[in-house]
Amino acid sequence: MTVATPPSTKIPPSNHPLADIIYRLEAGGAMLPDTPENLMQIIGLYKAYAVPMDFYWRDLLYIGEQVFLNPLPFFKFFISEEYLQLPNHYAGDTADLRIWRGGADCHPELREFIEKGELKQKLPRLFHHLWHDRINMEFAEECMRSMLWHRDMYVPWNQFDPYLDSEEYKQNADRAIKAYFKGNPVMLGLYKLFPDMFLEQCRQASYYANLGLFWEVMAPVFFEMSDLYDEGKLTSVPEAMNFLVNGIFAIAGRPIYHHVYIRGECYEIIPKSKGFTWLYEAALPYVEAVFYRTSPFRGTKSYNAQAKQVPDDQQDFHYGVLYADKFPVGTAGIPPTFLAQDMLHFLPPYLVEYYQQHCRGEDDMLVQLAVSFQRSMYCVTSAVIQALRAALLYPLDDPNPEHLKANRAFFEAQMDRFLRPEARIRDIQTQDYR
Amino acid sequence: MADIVDIAVSNDNFKTLVAAVQAAGLVDALKSPGPFTVFAPIDAAFEKLPPGTVQTLVQNPPQLGRILKYHVVAGKYTKADLEKLDSVDSLEGTSIRLNMKANEVKNSTVIAPDIEADNGIIHVIDNVILMGP
Repeated sequence: MTVATPPSTKIPPSNHPLADIIYRLEAGGAMLPDTPENLMQIIGLYKAYAVPMDFYWRDLLYIGEQVFLNPLPFFKFFISEEYLQLPNHYAGDTADLRIWRGGADCHPELREFIEKGELKQKLPRLFHHLWHDRINMEFAEECMRSMLWHRDMYVPWNQFDPYLDSEEYKQNADRAIKAYFKGNPVMLGLYKLFPDMFLEQCRQASYYANLGLFWEVMAPVFFEMSDLYDEGKLTSVPEAMNFLVNGIFAIAGRPIYHHVYIRGECYEIIPKSKGFTWLYEAALPYVEAVFYRTSPFRGTKSYNAQAKQVPDDQQDFHYGVLYADKFPVGTAGIPPTFLAQDMLHFLPPYLVEYYQQHCRGEDDMLVQLAVSFQRSMYCVTSAVIQALRAALLYPLDDPNPEHLKANRAFFEAQMDRFLRPEARIRDIQTQDYR
Repeated sequence: MADIVDIAVSNDNFKTLVAAVQAAGLVDALKSPGPFTVFAPIDAAFEKLPPGTVQTLVQNPPQLGRILKYHVVAGKYTKADLEKLDSVDSLEGTSIRLNMKANEVKNSTVIAPDIEADNGIIHVIDNVILMGP
């Protein structure tokens, strides 16, 4: 590990315990070191993540827009052909802004997996599902629920969450709920008795749409990065991070909304005209909810109120991917196993070969890929930190020392969140962690 | 004298800003009596944004409108007025950090303050400012 030296002599050195990482950020780098091995792992995992993500965003929108408040949603993971072909707004010839040069409908590897699964046999989808040969959509739902439950993140800049409590939202939801259950006196009667129960389900559906629209952007970004790497056009970790930073800015203004389709008619529960944006209403709350907070793993923490293992304050939750212990992946009570299992199916060949040479080879590949995934998410978080710095503060080469000090204070505040012992930021500095 | 929109239109440095205000449908609002204080980014400020940013915003007028409203404050504040304040509330709803002693609005520098208009005042800045702490 090389220790970075202060990039600027214009301001005094930092006294922060993670000063070496702060200097790297100030020099335009990422939280993880710029090595070819790191680059290979993070790009490989972006690819392996993007394929199930291509399913996640489609199914999240399908549930938010079509399944909506179905009280018995047995088939909510059996996404319709229409949603598999739904053109991604950022891929293909019809894109609003083309990020991935590939096609706009679902990824060919995903299509093949849905048809044949791990069994490599064409069976009815119901059999694949019952044999658990499928995409673990529960992981996407868990991320959605995390956003729903950790409310008020980034308020007042995030206006989506307060809107869910507004009179306007309640009226829009009311219209959709009544239309959805039209001709169903039992559900309409229940709605009269317990209106808030239905309203809360509607809020959850709105978060299905929110997360679906968020991932609709990330999937083509990751596909494009993987293609660029294969073509030899992405050659370093900072380049990968900067591709993400540019992607964040390019898409920052895309609308976040919730439309429900009932008998062919569109009900705008959250209209696009509210001005909600991808950056403020989806990306920033998502990073906070899923990368930092989530909820304590059932298999690593006791929820016993006397034991006081789980914080009282939601702000102190630290169970996101940046803090997660990846070694028990594959055992009971460890939610990221769902995602690791999904990504295992779509690893690029160079990573399979790489994992075979390390640790227990194929046997613990799930753990090895989960650790690589953690590295890749540290790269994404680095991009978010750099994007926030660029949007709200100053360029890294700013000649004004006061501006550099403001940047320094911002980076230090971000690194403060990694001072708790659970943070894996120290581990990812070397390859011994795998 | 002319109103805020007329002044921006007559100045060659605000081509992108004028086009954005038109795309977002805010022309009438900025021609109304107000008064408003507008922090107006010059064309070079929009060019500093990464590629695609402006394109996505122009495709989505409500979202573009929100960013533009962040550059507008209700009431007329001269540079001298702003020097007494740490922040002002934008029409977007969130506040704008000020450091007028250093001639700064958030992370932008004021290039030309106190341009008077019929319905308010314009301060020209060198960066597009964005919502956030």
